[in-house]
Amino acid sequence: MDVVYFIELAVNGALVGLMYALVALGIVLVFKSSGVANLAQGALAMVGAYVVWWLGSATGAPLWAVIPLGVIAMFFFGRGLERVALRRMVGQPVIMIIMLTLGLEILLRGLAPALWGTLLKRMDIGISQQPLFLGDILVNRAYLVGGAVALVLIALSLLFFNSRQGVVLRAVSDDQIAAWAVGIRVERAISLSWGFAGIAATAAGVLWGSVQGIDWTLSLLLIKALAVAILGGLDSIAGVLVAGIAVGVLESVIPGYVDPLVGGGTRDVVASAVILLTILVRPFGLFGREQIERI
Amino acid sequence: MLSLNNVEVVYDRVFLAIKGVSLEVPEGGMVALLGANGAGKSTTLKTISGLLKPERGEVTRGEVWFKGQNIAGLPAPERVRLGIAHVLEGRRVFEHLTPDENLVAATSMHRDRRRIGALKEMVYDYFPRLKERRSVKAGYLSGGEQQMLAIGRALMTEPKLLMLDEPSLGLAPYLVEEIFGIIQRLHRDGVGILLVEQNAAAALDVVTDAYLIENGRVVMSGKAEALKQNPDIQEFYLGGSGKKDYHAVKHYRRRKRWLA
Ligand SMILES: Nc1ncnc2c1ncn2[C@@H]1O[C@H](COP(=O)(O)OP(=O)(O)O)[C@@H](O)[C@H]1O
Ligand SMILES: [Mg+2]
Repeated sequence: MDVVYFIELAVNGALVGLMYALVALGIVLVFKSSGVANLAQGALAMVGAYVVWWLGSATGAPLWAVIPLGVIAMFFFGRGLERVALRRMVGQPVIMIIMLTLGLEILLRGLAPALWGTLLKRMDIGISQQPLFLGDILVNRAYLVGGAVALVLIALSLLFFNSRQGVVLRAVSDDQIAAWAVGIRVERAISLSWGFAGIAATAAGVLWGSVQGIDWTLSLLLIKALAVAILGGLDSIAGVLVAGIAVGVLESVIPGYVDPLVGGGTRDVVASAVILLTILVRPFGLFGREQIERI
Repeated sequence: MLSLNNVEVVYDRVFLAIKGVSLEVPEGGMVALLGANGAGKSTTLKTISGLLKPERGEVTRGEVWFKGQNIAGLPAPERVRLGIAHVLEGRRVFEHLTPDENLVAATSMHRDRRRIGALKEMVYDYFPRLKERRSVKAGYLSGGEQQMLAIGRALMTEPKLLMLDEPSLGLAPYLVEEIFGIIQRLHRDGVGILLVEQNAAAALDVVTDAYLIENGRVVMSGKAEALKQNPDIQEFYLGGSGKKDYHAVKHYRRRKRWLA
């Protein structure tokens, strides 16, 4: 077995996995503060990419320069979604709220291409196409940048959830009524988490957009993100990190060896297999918080 | 400080849970709200703290005044900022947070970090046991410790009125005594108390005034001393003389129907 080939697959897979983790981060941020599974995160990533592209073409500025603007816009877009749609659902059964987020995902998938055109848009954020060798290993530069950005945002999220505001968000996810009773402005806290989801989505959408271009298929990242979020445990930031790398490596190594034998196509099976196996074997994932039994 | 005026609350637009409740808690007062299961005690507290909405409850009549302001339309977090704290039935601590984090979670109204530190020290001074357990997940604390945490968490908001919903529920007698002792100490330190209890005997020993609520109506109120002497209360809430007089029960049922 060729060790270099294996390492190359694993390293590039891990970097891709970190970018999946970035999409999954948006799911976890929302779940961690409101207990809602945010199935609109794929479409949010797509919208984020479109918005940055549109800001670039409207102003003529280089894309990397308008990314901060796009991030801010999507922060408010995320909060807006919460304000106009989710907030009406307080007190409704969780399944209805999840369906609502899925409805938003489908709506945005249709709406964004309708608004900005269905043709694939190239997204050049200034990452060089030159091959990069680390020792013998060929690394994709776009993946390297993406992985680094993902790591930074995940680390920031970890710090945030240990800050006072972060503790408040975790309290909200534990018990909303008790949170109200101690003066927490629950709606505002949840809205904030959707804003953060918008930020994570934009970062992910732009990084992926720079790899594969922008069209509606960017929103399919939802499947990968779900696999990562579920494997990681839905409410664990550290889980997103580990599960992201795991899914990325599996998705890269397995097809690398199996595809030549079966004629391809195993890549897309990995994420769904991870989702199913996790739910069957370990429903709360690798790092999900356990239900505390009263002693 | 607090007064409820003929308040009526409806759940799900159809179910009338309290029917014209009026009650008062004076500045720094110590008042109990007594009654059997399902009488409307928790509903009354939620009316005051503003927690009816998430349960699809609604005030359909009457007024709630706190410190000269009609608060009926205010969202719950704003009422906390006015000085109303509600310790919920069943404790409801944030289970996946440590006691320390539970306390911090209740400080969203404070800006000053030093003040938060001082408040935490005050809570740990009332409840030294919590300090020992400050970094265990709150879900793993004992029932008594969780009740202490629920009260301590409410204290972080610096309440002028502390409402406690059945703090003795499910606790061993020595813990009930300990918790009631702390409630008395809080009262001495100037916090107004509204104590909801099914355990009337324990409650009437610590409060100065009490209201008795039955089927959503206040059926009796007065000084704790006087209520303790009332034969109906003795019979049905204080365990009476021990023997159950069937005739008296029937009589009382009839009277209740008339009151309802
Ligand atoms: N969320 C709710 N929805 C519908 N009915 C409720 C709700 N909460 C309480 N009730 C009803 O209102 C009445 C009073 O309940 P509650 O205030 O909880 O009584 P208590 O605290 O005195 O035991 C009961 O008949 C109860 O069934
Ligand atoms: Mg009750």
